[in-house]
Amino acid sequence: MSFPLAADGEGFNSPGPRDFEFPGIFGHDSFFTKPMLIVLLGSLLVAVLFYLAARRAQTVPGKGQFAGESVYGFVRNSIALDAIGHEGLKYVPYLATLFSFIAVLNLSGIIPFLQFPATSRIAIPLFLAIISWAIYNAIGIRRQGLVGYFKNMMFPPGIPWPVYILLAPIELFSTFFVRPITLALRLTFNMFAGHLVLLLFVLGGEYLVFDKGGIVGVLAGSVSLFGSIVLTFFEGFVQLLQAYVFTLLTALYIGGALADEH
Amino acid sequence: MPPDPTDSGSAGGRKGEQDAWGAFGLMISGVAVWGGVGWLVSEWLDNRVFLMLGLLLGMGAALYLVWFKYGRS
Repeated sequence: MSFPLAADGEGFNSPGPRDFEFPGIFGHDSFFTKPMLIVLLGSLLVAVLFYLAARRAQTVPGKGQFAGESVYGFVRNSIALDAIGHEGLKYVPYLATLFSFIAVLNLSGIIPFLQFPATSRIAIPLFLAIISWAIYNAIGIRRQGLVGYFKNMMFPPGIPWPVYILLAPIELFSTFFVRPITLALRLTFNMFAGHLVLLLFVLGGEYLVFDKGGIVGVLAGSVSLFGSIVLTFFEGFVQLLQAYVFTLLTALYIGGALADEH
Repeated sequence: MPPDPTDSGSAGGRKGEQDAWGAFGLMISGVAVWGGVGWLVSEWLDNRVFLMLGLLLGMGAALYLVWFKYGRS
């Protein structure tokens, strides 16, 4: 009666959300999983790289210093100065850390043996978004005062006052609650979807070539495997782009909180 | 290498990025806030029509706000 499902062992097991669940590394039920290992390695990597780049900084930079300075300079010039303006210089350390941390955790999705973007687990982007949210709200409240900050947020000037009853709750909700959530979800689902597509191309290609076989299977599987290589490069681009977008939006929110009048 | 920011346009493209997500957030918020109020009233008065009214009101208000903030230049 029942249809032969993919999960029965026959046929192709298409990748799905369960590919994002990992057993513990030390024993199946232990708490330490692969995403955690990636976060740990990524944090260490970013810290060590920046430390090495900054140690014994010289007027004529060496290779490490040059790499560190180009990342930092990119965040400083293209994100902080552009999005916030001159005052943005104060926030470059946070923004640069954010950018390199997210970039490293994203790129773990295409690094051999790791091959899992840790940022596709919602907890990591959500926590980063909460930090950004706390920072831009704190800046806004300090700059404009508690009342002034929420007044500027909820009452954009130039609207007849009865309409504010309708619009003020929407503005409050969108700035205060929706922003951090979209910030986190955008990063998570970009990484989630990208990883899923890669899995599909690789596992599908493998299945077609080795399990299904035949001339059609081998041909189609080869195309799929070749496509996965192209997609890996594309994923690398998306992963850097998403790190950039997350950082840029944080900078824009900080810039908005700094602006006195709306 | 980090993605080249000049590809996605200068400060203009950047503002577009913010505006797009701002508009998206406003639409979601409009439906959520006034739809939520409408749902509460519906539960209270046991009449589904208030949920519909709330959703439409929120959608309309959010559209107006999007136009007001981003659409008038």
